[in-house]
Amino acid sequence: MTSATRHSTASQPIGVEVLVCGSMDRGDDGAPMLAIDLVRKALPDDVRVRIVSELDIDDLLGVAPGAGVVIVDAAIGIDAGEVVELPINGFAGRPDGLRPRSSHALEFPEVVGLAEMMRGRPVDGRVVAIGGAAFGLGGALSRRVAAAMPELTATILGAIDRSRVPS
Amino acid sequence: MHDTNVLTGPPGHLEVDIAGLTRVEGEGSLRLQVRNGAVEKAHLEIFEAPRYFERLVVGRTPDEVIDIVARICGICPVAYQMTAVHAFEHGLGIEVDPAVRALRRLLYCGEWIESHALHVYLLHLPDFLGYASALEMAHDHQAAVESGLTLKRAGNKIVELIGGRAIHPVSVRLGGFSRSFRRTEIRALRGVVVEAVELALATVDLVAGLDTPTFERDGRLVAMRHPREYPMNEGRIVSNDGLDIATTDWRSEFSEQQVAWSNALQSRGRDGRAYLLGPMARITLAGESLHPVAAAALARTGLAAEIAINPYRSIVARAIELVDATAEALDIIDAYEPADVAATPWRPAAASAAWATEAPRGLIFHAYELDERGLVTHAQIVPPTSQNQAAIEADLAAFAPRVLELSHSQATLRIEQLIRSYDPCISCATHFLDLSMEEVP
Repeated sequence: MTSATRHSTASQPIGVEVLVCGSMDRGDDGAPMLAIDLVRKALPDDVRVRIVSELDIDDLLGVAPGAGVVIVDAAIGIDAGEVVELPINGFAGRPDGLRPRSSHALEFPEVVGLAEMMRGRPVDGRVVAIGGAAFGLGGALSRRVAAAMPELTATILGAIDRSRVPS
Repeated sequence: MHDTNVLTGPPGHLEVDIAGLTRVEGEGSLRLQVRNGAVEKAHLEIFEAPRYFERLVVGRTPDEVIDIVARICGICPVAYQMTAVHAFEHGLGIEVDPAVRALRRLLYCGEWIESHALHVYLLHLPDFLGYASALEMAHDHQAAVESGLTLKRAGNKIVELIGGRAIHPVSVRLGGFSRSFRRTEIRALRGVVVEAVELALATVDLVAGLDTPTFERDGRLVAMRHPREYPMNEGRIVSNDGLDIATTDWRSEFSEQQVAWSNALQSRGRDGRAYLLGPMARITLAGESLHPVAAAALARTGLAAEIAINPYRSIVARAIELVDATAEALDIIDAYEPADVAATPWRPAAASAAWATEAPRGLIFHAYELDERGLVTHAQIVPPTSQNQAAIEADLAAFAPRVLELSHSQATLRIEQLIRSYDPCISCATHFLDLSMEEVP
């Protein structure tokens, strides 16, 4: 957990938490952070953004009660620049090899599954992933990922709407 | 998520090809070939993109370097910071306040607690209890997983407070820290650390009783040793065959080499011998300086001798070090008195700087050359996993014939379990590589 920005006021409950994975130092791995910077001013007031680098169980345990979750990450297993949105449990057992780029010690489904077990309830929400081409050291996005940033930002905003937990 | 092929032919033949090692840090694979009972190939292949940090820090100031190297790894950034800052301070002759020394040790304790708790409970324990993943294990052992997460959280809190944030800390500065810490701030950690000591002791009881494969390695162990404290930031580099050199002199005994099958450089002794670092080596070579609480826990297990030779017992060594790090953290918190100044002033100068510290996975070495403006002109960063890689491969070669009689799945499990015993951090190991590498046909 490196930083958090809350758009909601102290008295307003958090509707959706956006957990942003990746590293600005590693090429296309920085696309999620750049995308959230581009949409930050357009975010609804009840959205809290947290930069988490690599998704950890505690990041999900820290989600406010009743809030939906949007996880934004770079991915491998899909074409560079391709943007996908899927349910938060949608990575488990995929035959196409799609998986988040930034998950290391524990696989993404394990992180989500363990968090759900600790919470005692499902993690409701969506994952927005963008296929990356290069993850080596360096800040620049690859051409195809840079070209896909408008689609990524639009998908993030849509996913936030679709992740709200009905009251 | 990995593809594993175990192909067996006639008796005495085994091919294991694990394309994506799981529950290790980073991305790597194993290729193992045994023919007529003899190991023909045992290659730990590390294929994360090479990281050019050694080039990146050239032209930077020491304080910039301290922040940059922390980004090499999300699991052990403190190890990189501590090694760099001690190298620069030694090279430039900077003396730090005793309170700074204590806080840096507390910061390192936090990282050890985070790293060891993650590895013991979520990466390694599933192997011993017969589960394919931490998630599967959690269905039957939720309390164990919760203990691991609570311990890890205690380490996170220490690193977050002293380092300024939980991942890639930013507060370490040449001569001290970017700010002073009040006694009340440090004392606020006490509650979680007291709980962590108890959980760490329970961890030792849990892992000491695990059914463990028998494997005796007869290799070289290398670690730091300090006369008054368990080695972290200071000491001398020693081995189980009589080596005893200053932390600045790593290059007099060891060197890095390139191998065709891996993006990571491998380190060996200048005589070509592989060597093993990490908790096994530290307990064996510096166990007499464990915190008394940890020393008593080790004695209760009766496993000190086996830890020295059986890598599968490294889970016990990590648990003992969890006790050591939590107990020492508590001592530092209780004794803390703020320094008069946050950081000792210093002047840029030309210098040669080198130092080693003990990362959770083992000894890490840095060397830098500074010009008269105090800017880095050359850097060498040697992480633990690239030093352990040759020993891991040698151990795999020695162990593989023992699994020939097992089923495919059992053989694979035993081999993966052995690799995880070394807690390789592949993200760290790929620190730099000359790209003119030869392709293996």
